[in-house]
Amino acid sequence: MASNNSIKKTLTVAFALCIVCSVVVSTAAVVLRPTQQQNQELDRKSNILQVAELYEPGVDVNERFAEAITARVVDLQNGEYAEDKNAETFNQFEAAKDPAQSRTLSGAEDMAGIGRREDYATVYLVGDPDNPDKIILPVRGQGLWSLMSGYLALKGDGNTVVGLSFYDQGETPGLGGEVDNPDWKALWDGKKIYPEGEMDPAIRLVKGGVGPQTPEAEYKVDALSGATLTSNGVTNLLQFWLSDAGFAEYLARFRDTTQGA
Amino acid sequence: MAAYTPKGVLTTPIFKNNPIALQILGICSALAVTNSMNTSLVMGLAVIAVTAFSSFFVSLIRNHIPSAIRIIVQMTIIASLVIVVDQVLKAYAYEISKQLSVFVGLIITNCIVMGRAEAFAMQNTPVMSFLDGVGNGLGYAVILLIVGFFRELFGSGSVFGMTILQTTSDGGWYVTNGLMLLPPSAFFVIGLIIWALRSLNPEQVEENEFKITTNTKAKEAV
Amino acid sequence: MGIRQTLDNLEPHFHKGGKYEKFYALYEAVDTIFYSPPDVTRTTAHVRDGIDLKRIMITVWFCTFPAMFFGMYNAGLQANLAIADGYSALGGWREAVTMTLAGGNDPGSIWADFVLGATYFLPIYLVTFVVGGFWEVLFAVKRGHEVNEGFFVTSVLYALILPATIPLWQVALGITFGVVIGKEIFGGTGKNFLNPALTGRAFLYFAYPAQISGDSVWVAADGYTGATALSTAYSDGMDALHQQLSWLDAFFGFMPGSVGEVSTLAILIGAAVLLWTRIASWRIMLGTFLGMVATSALFNLVGSETNPMFAMPWYWHLVIGGFAFGMVFMATDPVSASMTDKGKLVFGALIGVMTVLIRVVNPAFPEGIMLAILFANLFAPLIDHFVVQANIKRRQKRETAGAMSKETA
Repeated sequence: MASNNSIKKTLTVAFALCIVCSVVVSTAAVVLRPTQQQNQELDRKSNILQVAELYEPGVDVNERFAEAITARVVDLQNGEYAEDKNAETFNQFEAAKDPAQSRTLSGAEDMAGIGRREDYATVYLVGDPDNPDKIILPVRGQGLWSLMSGYLALKGDGNTVVGLSFYDQGETPGLGGEVDNPDWKALWDGKKIYPEGEMDPAIRLVKGGVGPQTPEAEYKVDALSGATLTSNGVTNLLQFWLSDAGFAEYLARFRDTTQGA
Repeated sequence: MAAYTPKGVLTTPIFKNNPIALQILGICSALAVTNSMNTSLVMGLAVIAVTAFSSFFVSLIRNHIPSAIRIIVQMTIIASLVIVVDQVLKAYAYEISKQLSVFVGLIITNCIVMGRAEAFAMQNTPVMSFLDGVGNGLGYAVILLIVGFFRELFGSGSVFGMTILQTTSDGGWYVTNGLMLLPPSAFFVIGLIIWALRSLNPEQVEENEFKITTNTKAKEAV
Repeated sequence: MGIRQTLDNLEPHFHKGGKYEKFYALYEAVDTIFYSPPDVTRTTAHVRDGIDLKRIMITVWFCTFPAMFFGMYNAGLQANLAIADGYSALGGWREAVTMTLAGGNDPGSIWADFVLGATYFLPIYLVTFVVGGFWEVLFAVKRGHEVNEGFFVTSVLYALILPATIPLWQVALGITFGVVIGKEIFGGTGKNFLNPALTGRAFLYFAYPAQISGDSVWVAADGYTGATALSTAYSDGMDALHQQLSWLDAFFGFMPGSVGEVSTLAILIGAAVLLWTRIASWRIMLGTFLGMVATSALFNLVGSETNPMFAMPWYWHLVIGGFAFGMVFMATDPVSASMTDKGKLVFGALIGVMTVLIRVVNPAFPEGIMLAILFANLFAPLIDHFVVQANIKRRQKRETAGAMSKETA
């Protein structure tokens, strides 16, 4: 046993162990990588299908996604499609961390509390890409405790909400966590974002309930009961992503075409 | 040293010498991942795999490990296994690994794994160590599943995602208990489990650190 | 036949070997409510004082009465005001009782307000008493000790810090948690390190936030949302609060809130009795008050553009939310507070500081007194430890100094 503690033995054991372990770990990582990426894709796609109301349990997500949805990359500066970016490979969440592909938001501009905004974003179009049935936009922003990430689905006029759903949030269960409540999510259907002829988003959550008599009820959604800060977070992130800093320029093109027609 | 039997090392850690309930090890992850049965089960399986195989490999090379770097060697083996488990989960159980997030990686810091490698595997044969690892992993998993059962049932009205109590948000009658979804509730549940276990096995109760003297008996004054 | 005789006739059944031996705890509890305990001091120490634990607890219980009666009146008043505004009443048997006894929902009639409020508060109190009492007796019987009078106080305090509209099954769950987890598993009254009433409420607060916080739970009228003064101040600032109610209204308690905590005046009447009989510690109350004043003054000085709570002066902190109730009845709980005189001041100050801190800078919880008291409960033994250690050191120093001076002399 004493020989175990000689310097030579110590180094040999350490070296051999490192080699073996690193081979095992890297093999696992390399072999499993393709499956993991598929999983990530699948997860993202089923989230999108869900918010577009195309998801049913048991459906083949990839197939459904491929036939119904087109992904396009939008330049957030001017609202044009960025044809040089491949929507399959472009990852806007990684771009948001890269100083070369994003810019820092400061002070009042950073309503959603996200720190940096990427220059390009991926949007998903249901149906004919030039005249879509639904437009799905990625949105995210700070709630009370957590960054809430989700998708906002709009009708083809770029102004009527179909649904808002968060796939990642860590708000207080029972209060802010109710953003996942199907009853609350159902309130969004049919709400409008922009007032007639303007590109300043009017949609917001309001406390105390929204009834048919409420003035401008079509721009208002009932706030989450007892969760003022999560509700403010939702309002802020929508206001941000639907303003000029977000998708306003892009959405304008849909409104123009529909109004012209 | 008392002779270990394969059955003994496999079953004693489950109730008699439970790593969580008696040794109070591995509490951190037990708090974090037990808000549903699914995550508890997968976490339990992951820990069983890591404890079993790390004990096995440590035991396999126990006669060649220089005592100076003993802990580092054990850590390297455990860490590698944890990474492999993490990668496998990401590939084959993506939804759940997303919910478990960092806690799979944090199995590395779970005292049960390290404790078994150092306390048992360094002195015993590979097969016995493997069984010991499985046993301790099972002890951990059992507690996780019990805690997960109560937290999911009362917090979300379901077990393994299947609705048992129809919640009010689905139009039913059961008002979900929000506390059960928060990690601190696991403390209460684990505490109650320990209470129950020690009521059943009084020999698990620690001795009092000091005795309170009884009131002096009333005597006739002289 | 007098009560004494009835009790004496029953007594043998409850002693060892009797039919109801197991229920001795119950017999003892009833017996000592009517008569002073039979045990007399037999050895040398004779304390000549009429006060015992039971009398202390009953006094505290009586001291909550002003707050309780005003709370019932106010709960009814708030509901009737909302009903007069066109909201419908919650209906059910409560409505029937109110109609029979008071004949209507007229907010101007004190009697109508009181009856409606009582139909909300009394069931809460009853459930608390029955369910909590069940656990008390169960543990007393199992452990073979007597039912403790402390539960009298725990039950009434717990019932008073709940909103009027809380579902009764939640009341039952909360008091169960408070009594069992907050007290009995540590060995019963005297060994609990947390205030059981607050523990129960904290459980409800985290388990069922929708029924115990927010805007729609304080007023018992269908669909009516009335923010508490604290949440108005939090979301809309001090100006909005001034528009909603005047300081005097808040001081008298004409605002929505938990049943017993609204009226600072009624609570202070109880506080006066508690202090006069020296049951509650003036040091804890003073410490809490000073801690609150100092912290809110500090926040007033610092100021903030975005957080309107920074601007709330101390006299508003005193009258809104549960501060006064917590300071007078909760913080002074002799079991879970610090024991030493200096420790009591520090303990109180910690509560005052934490309350304002949570109210002002924590975005999630508009009210802070509950969490502040529970937090300070945890620190009470530590505070005592330091006070005792400091005493020991001081005396050791004096001792050695005395010895030295003797030697040199």
